[in-house]
Amino acid sequence: MELFSEHSLSLQLTILLLSGLFIALTPLSERGSRITALTGSLAVLGIAAYQYFELLDFSKPTMQLVETYPWISDIKFSLGVDGLSFSMVLLMAILIPCAIIASKPIALKQKPRLYYALIIFLCLSVLAVFMAKDIFLFFLAWELELVPMYFLIAIWGSKNRNYASMKFLIYTFAAGACLLIGLFTLLAFSGFSSFDMVELAGIAKTFSLPIQALLFVLIGTCFLVKLPSVPFHTWLPDAHVEAPTPVSMLLAGILLKMGCYGLLRFALDFFPEVLHIFAPAIAVLGTVNIVFGAYSALIQTDFKKIIAYSSISHMGFILLGLSGLNTAGYSGAVFQMFSHGLISAALFMLVGMIYERTHTRELDNFGGLAKVMPKTFFIFKLAAMANLGLPGLSGFVGESLVFYGSFTSAYVGAGLNIIKLSAVIASVSLILTAAYMLWTNQRVFYGETKQVNLCLQDARKSEMFVLAILLALAIIYGVYPNFVNDIYEPQLNSLVNNLQ
Amino acid sequence: MANLENAWLIALYPLISALLIMFFTHKSRPLSMGLSVSAVAIGFIHSLVLFLNFHDNHAHEVNFNWIKAGDFHLEMGYLVDKLAIGMLLTVTLVSFLVQIYTHAYMDEDEGYTRFYSYLSLFTFSMLGLVISTNLFQMYFFWELVGVCSFLLIGFWWYKPSAAHACKKAFVTNRVGDAGFLIGLMLLYAFTKDFWVNGIATMSFTSLQEAINYAIHNNGLELLGWVSVTSIGLLIFMGAMAKSAQFPLHIWLPDAMEGPTPISALIHAATMVAAGVYLLARIFPICSIEGSAALPVIAWIGGITAIFAATIALTQNDIKKALAYSTCSQLGYMVLAVGLGAPIIAMFHLITHAMFKAMLFLGSGSVILGCHHEQDMREMGGLRKYMPITAITFLIGTLSISGLPFMSGFWSKDMIIAKAFEVSPALFWIATSTALLTAFYMFRIYFKTFEGEYRGHAHPHEQPLAVTVPLMVLAVPSIILGLWGSPLLGYPLIHYFDSHFHAHGTGWGFFLHELSQPMGYLPLLSFIIGTSVAYLVYVKKKTINDKLVNVLAKEQFAWLYKGSVNKWYIDEAYEFVIGLFMKFFRATWKFFERVVIEGIFINGFAWRGSELVGEILKLTQNGRVQSYIAIMFVGLLFFVVMFLV
Repeated sequence: MELFSEHSLSLQLTILLLSGLFIALTPLSERGSRITALTGSLAVLGIAAYQYFELLDFSKPTMQLVETYPWISDIKFSLGVDGLSFSMVLLMAILIPCAIIASKPIALKQKPRLYYALIIFLCLSVLAVFMAKDIFLFFLAWELELVPMYFLIAIWGSKNRNYASMKFLIYTFAAGACLLIGLFTLLAFSGFSSFDMVELAGIAKTFSLPIQALLFVLIGTCFLVKLPSVPFHTWLPDAHVEAPTPVSMLLAGILLKMGCYGLLRFALDFFPEVLHIFAPAIAVLGTVNIVFGAYSALIQTDFKKIIAYSSISHMGFILLGLSGLNTAGYSGAVFQMFSHGLISAALFMLVGMIYERTHTRELDNFGGLAKVMPKTFFIFKLAAMANLGLPGLSGFVGESLVFYGSFTSAYVGAGLNIIKLSAVIASVSLILTAAYMLWTNQRVFYGETKQVNLCLQDARKSEMFVLAILLALAIIYGVYPNFVNDIYEPQLNSLVNNLQ
Repeated sequence: MANLENAWLIALYPLISALLIMFFTHKSRPLSMGLSVSAVAIGFIHSLVLFLNFHDNHAHEVNFNWIKAGDFHLEMGYLVDKLAIGMLLTVTLVSFLVQIYTHAYMDEDEGYTRFYSYLSLFTFSMLGLVISTNLFQMYFFWELVGVCSFLLIGFWWYKPSAAHACKKAFVTNRVGDAGFLIGLMLLYAFTKDFWVNGIATMSFTSLQEAINYAIHNNGLELLGWVSVTSIGLLIFMGAMAKSAQFPLHIWLPDAMEGPTPISALIHAATMVAAGVYLLARIFPICSIEGSAALPVIAWIGGITAIFAATIALTQNDIKKALAYSTCSQLGYMVLAVGLGAPIIAMFHLITHAMFKAMLFLGSGSVILGCHHEQDMREMGGLRKYMPITAITFLIGTLSISGLPFMSGFWSKDMIIAKAFEVSPALFWIATSTALLTAFYMFRIYFKTFEGEYRGHAHPHEQPLAVTVPLMVLAVPSIILGLWGSPLLGYPLIHYFDSHFHAHGTGWGFFLHELSQPMGYLPLLSFIIGTSVAYLVYVKKKTINDKLVNVLAKEQFAWLYKGSVNKWYIDEAYEFVIGLFMKFFRATWKFFERVVIEGIFINGFAWRGSELVGEILKLTQNGRVQSYIAIMFVGLLFFVVMFLV
């Protein structure tokens, strides 16, 4: 048991690796590979639950469950989680089985084994990003994620998949280049004395401010592309529209969180002082995201694009939360990451279900679907409400914390009013989000049912199961947010207090 | 006192029944109905027990932490004071009667159980709002009642008009909520260091101290962009949207697309009055000496009252006419708060809840009786066919019009009397509104119940499930006002007064008004309004062989058109929104494709940094192999750098 407790993180990665290899190397059927993938991911979830309830002590603000293995000379294969990264690990552990259950129709189209293997490898690399304690491992995992994602869109995507996957690749790769340069410079300035992220964070704080700022901009740009933030966001709607449903779920639910996670990790741990200087700029960027995303979503006619732009809008709250420089803002940002992961996954799943049945995403072709798909209608209403930040659902918690946090920002300087003004302008999104979500709801489900849509089939049991889990969690965390908040709040609070 | 400690159960009962219906009993109609009705019935009894046993002058409240982030914390809990008890009784009573009524009204609808689950959900949210201990919690439930309203307006989603109306209601409310939220953020920013040592953030009981603290210690100004006034008015924006105050009133008439029980419960008696309840709660903020919030609130209320009344004059849809009447009466309540008399606003809220719920239920009974006809031109003479509905409707009409000694008379005249004392202009507005109210209410009554039947259906009286709630509501519509009247020595006013003890008593003005000749104007306006309606719609007086109302239509054609078309407010909004959408559509492509992708990204990639340009050029060839090759070369480079 002790052996298990001490190696639980590497065990999670190993399970994924083994199940991925097993699927890739044995002649399984679609069903067989799906069950293998599901078993592997459920084991990961089980271990994550055990970590949540038993192994981790969230009141300690340090890295826990640390495992270090020798790797390449100074570079260690080193894993560890703290509150921030564990909340992401937990989110992933919940989303992977959901995405795999939702994969059946896609995988049946072609090459099921390759499909499941790629999904598992994708999750493996993202999980490694969250667990990495070594900066080289972090970068390696960060870049590795690209390969399965590219193929998942390029092979199983819809019409314009080549364009979309290439765009995704170029953007992310360019961002990766920024990250590489940034990390390399960081290491160079620290004299290559350590690759450990915790130690590096301590060293980075001792650099002179201009150097810190330079590094922050280089590294931060990479995360902004991944987040994605205006003006680097245009890859996201294209990638989402072309990606198959489960990939969209993972893309919105987990991959975007890599950007958020990276940003929070480096901004809070490595360059907190620079963050204090850049806070007004970050607040403005966040608000631009929130408002621009919402305004773009308002005028789209493609169902999936609306949700994609909605994602961009919601990611803006993470930036706005960062500008709060207080525990409320940071906690709000992390909560928003968690909650957006659940809600956007549910929404993309719903869009995918309707697309699978109608073979169209144009809103004009829908109307009155409530009549033929009452269960889907019910779930969509709930998901739309969660997305527009209805109290009692998780979307509200993050947004509230971000609003109060950024409005009472700890920033000292002339830019405080810019941050406050940003928060006020961002509250316009309350109206815009309600408008585009409900308008979409109206155009898809309300009104007369079109003749061609009269024989559509309602949600299947497996689909309902996934959606029910995602939204049940959105309700539980919305009613009692401390289940999630307690994971990272002590850590963020100590980060804030240490700086003061 | 156990029932005090368990007061939160009052809100919980309907939540339980809503969940049970949604997930378990939705197949069984009687079971669902029974659950829903008994949940609210227990709630009513519980509230009644509280009412009889609770005599404290300060609130009993319990809070628990909802979320905590550093020094920022938010609480949820429950609060019992006389103000809350008054609302609890009103909400549970009306909800109980409406739910009985629903059984008959929705009998033939396939969404019968779904309707009950939504009704229960709404009742839960509304009661949660009432027992909120702090502004944040109120905002929480504030949005929840909004979404229940959305669900219920759009209950018949297949009707395009309902689909449009529910979206409009929610989005308009969100406009108010955005203001509410900004107001809360401002308030919190200035009182941040006050909510320590276990005081719930923004709790109602400490609001007065907190705002004084902010003024004295944190330099909060009294007037200006960021001030006590703006905080009050921003929070008031939430109330404006919810209580359908001009210019955010546009959603309420459209909300009549929902089933009639909803119109009675949500859009007449309870939810729309939540704005007034909120104002009563934040009264300490608005009434700070030197703040300019109260006059603005008073004027918005006054304008809404008369504005909505002018529209109600010409509406032919019975529910729309009643909706504008609700709007106008809510204007009275807001006016009362603005005049500095939240107690009177609460008094009018309670009496209005009774008679307006009854009027709406009556109109529903008429609509059922006429086989889903809502146009009053297709009605008439229904008194013969539906005597119980007609009598109760008449009672409601008399009450709202202000027949002396009826409930509506006491509460409305107190508002007018208060206006008499504070502001002559508002007194005239309130009095003219009273005149218009008497006229349009009797117009509705006469057109519907008197004369000859003009429709083509076979009107008939409704079953007991419909008529009993009507008869029950008729009782408070007549006598509830006495409880707050000078005849019994203002017991209701005294009851609430203990809550607002800091703000003077001020019921003497009622007698003060009557000591002057002008004080009889409200009574006169009732007599004039009623008689004119009688002459026009029953006696059908003619001038030069033309019916008076036809003549008026011709003589004042532009006024008539304006009123019928609701003064073109909807058109104005649609025009502006249309303009915005056009602008959005036109500029979006430009932004996204030209500025961001074309100039910024491509410019950056091709003409900017050479390094990134090179990488992009190589990957642009579309071969994945080259990408992987580059990646590994990069990695190799990286690794080699460290190993050497």
